[in-house]
Amino acid sequence: MPEIDFTIDPATGQLELHVKGIRGSACQDVAKLVEELLGTPRVDQNTPEYSLRTEVRPHVRPKGNR
Amino acid sequence: MSKYLIFTDVVFKDRRLLLAALADVGYPDAEQGEALSLFGYLGDRRPETAEIVVRRQYVGAASNDLGFTRTEQGYIPIVSVYDQRTLHQGQFLVKLRTAYSERIIEEVRKRVHGTARRTVEGSLIKIKVRY
Repeated sequence: MPEIDFTIDPATGQLELHVKGIRGSACQDVAKLVEELLGTPRVDQNTPEYSLRTEVRPHVRPKGNR
Repeated sequence: MSKYLIFTDVVFKDRRLLLAALADVGYPDAEQGEALSLFGYLGDRRPETAEIVVRRQYVGAASNDLGFTRTEQGYIPIVSVYDQRTLHQGQFLVKLRTAYSERIIEEVRKRVHGTARRTVEGSLIKIKVRY
C-alpha cells in the first residue's frame, strides 16, 4: 500500500516528506501535489524505489548478431 | 512606532490553506483584498500593503496589523518588529508554518483519499498517510 511519511519540525515549522511504495514517476505526482501547496522543495531526492520503473522495454537485437 | 519586516524567505503558497492556518493559530478574522493598507498600533497608516491582513484589534492591544503580501512565489508575511518579538513568545511565524504544514498534509490526505495516523516522536510530529 502506498504511503507518504510526513515529518514536521515544530521548532522551525519545516515539512519533510518521504513517499514509499510507489514506483517510478507516480511518485512524482505526489511530489507535484505537495509542491503545488508548499512551493518548490529545497531538497528533492529520488529514493531507490524511484528507479524501479514498471515499464516494459522491447528487446531488439541487432540484425548482425543472429 | 514599530518598523515592519518583510519575510521573503517564508512563503505560503496556497491562500486557502494560509487562511486556515491563521485560524488554527488564533486569527480567524483575516481581511482579504487588493493592496490593503496596514495600520500601526496608533492607527497610523503605513506605506506597506498586503492582500491578506489580520487587523491589530484581533492581535493585541499594542500590536500592529499583520499582513501577507502576494508575490509570484506565494504569500509572504509582513510583521512588525514588535509583533515578531512578542506574538506567541516570538514564535508566531514558526507556529504559523507548523499549522500550514499540517493543513498541507490534510489537503494531500483528502486528495489521495487516504487515511492519516499522527504520532509525536521526540520533538517531531510524524504523520503517515496511506492510500
